[in-house]
Amino acid sequence: MNDPYSVLGVSQSASDEEIKKAYRELVRKYHPDNYHNNPLSDLAQEKMKEINEAYDQVTKSRANGNTSYGSSPSYSGFSGSRGSAEFSAVRTAINNNDLSSAENLLNESKNQNAEWHFLMGSVYYRRGWLDDAQRYFQIAVQMEPGNQEYVQALSFLNRGGQTYSPYGYNYNRGSNSCGGCSVCDICTAMMCAEACCNC
Amino acid sequence: MLGYIKPLKEELKVREYESYKACYCGLCHALKRQFGTMARNLISYDFTFLAMLLWEPEQIPRRAHARCIASPIRKKGIYDSAPVLDYCAAASVILSWWRIKDTIQDERTLRVHRDRMLAILLKSAYNKASRMNVAFKETVVKNLEELNALEQSPGVSVDACADKFARITEALSLYVPTEARLRPLKQVLYHIGRYIYIIDAFDDLDEDIKAQRFNPIAQRYQVTRWPPSEAIKKSIEQTLLNSCALISSAFELLPTTAWTPVLRNIVYLGMPSTIERVLEGTNKIKNGILLEGMEQ
Repeated sequence: MNDPYSVLGVSQSASDEEIKKAYRELVRKYHPDNYHNNPLSDLAQEKMKEINEAYDQVTKSRANGNTSYGSSPSYSGFSGSRGSAEFSAVRTAINNNDLSSAENLLNESKNQNAEWHFLMGSVYYRRGWLDDAQRYFQIAVQMEPGNQEYVQALSFLNRGGQTYSPYGYNYNRGSNSCGGCSVCDICTAMMCAEACCNC
Repeated sequence: MLGYIKPLKEELKVREYESYKACYCGLCHALKRQFGTMARNLISYDFTFLAMLLWEPEQIPRRAHARCIASPIRKKGIYDSAPVLDYCAAASVILSWWRIKDTIQDERTLRVHRDRMLAILLKSAYNKASRMNVAFKETVVKNLEELNALEQSPGVSVDACADKFARITEALSLYVPTEARLRPLKQVLYHIGRYIYIIDAFDDLDEDIKAQRFNPIAQRYQVTRWPPSEAIKKSIEQTLLNSCALISSAFELLPTTAWTPVLRNIVYLGMPSTIERVLEGTNKIKNGILLEGMEQ
């Protein structure tokens, strides 16, 4: 296993505070929210695992009782329980990055409902055809406005997708900076609160 | 080719900026050394970015001094003799050659004569570059042909057109031998290509409407008059930022190298700021490229 200090990006003589800060920054960077429906989410998940292991190793050797956030939340684009049985094969194919199978299955289906449009949008998003993906998501939301999965997918794209920046949120975004509390602010606040309770 | 992928200079540390310039100058010298003085005209910020991105992590950049054609009095610090610079120089010649040919087809003003001259003078450079990188040249030719065909068909989506150009930039990732770097690199380069295609389409929107040439944005949003509405600009900004998000999330999965700070600046600050400038109309790139880069 790689040197845990270099995985965290700190020197061996760094203080506990610095290590904790570096760890939190890395968690922010590789957080699943930044990799939602991203074809590279499996790599991000591996990276997160490596970071958690490194942090655990460092804090154990320093014996101060801090622990990592444990197993990371799900990185996969879709959970198995959501959505209808009809399209579950499509969801599996998308999660495995097998986009041509997913698209074939969708093209064969006669039922072009909201979920069909949402899954088509997801295939296009993974392929990098972001504008077409957005249009499919818009139709899905129009057809089924209450469905949170579709609403979240559309609003992610409407926000410009950016959730992490090393230069801080809303840097240089001028007129379209999102005021108020986003999902990320809540999540970060929760993580910070949890970390505070641990020490 | 077009100078869209560049850093936000104000946020670079001085040593990072010096380093970046040295890479740019190193690329210019690689162009001259391999392909002759005329090829220096093809220097661009975009390929400088590519060189930094593809730079092998274990290869330490080697500093040298050389004369600059644009400011001949003092010698400049450059990075020299790196295989990645030669690769980027060849790729730059191949891609630029085809862009010049495309411009000759579309151009109606007197500039077409200058472009014809450039094409003739660069022919031998192009032949040499093609021999050095046959696979890339074939990818370029194939995708540009398909793109031309798509642009003739009615109702084609922006993404379908951008995809063709993105496949070209994605193919540049084949320089990298290790599997671990390949997947994130392909995603970065694919979306770089998509970003360049769309932002260039917007930059050309004005002229294309006047000349009644095909423009994917004009078609997608039914734009018949300049300037397009704020809603249209917002939509374009969103889709470009979405590409930037996919670039940055992939970029973070690449190993850290000496170039990471500059690349981070480009990805997180430079590219979004270019979007703003292009959409405001304050970023018109002129076609005389060599002196363009020497803004000090």
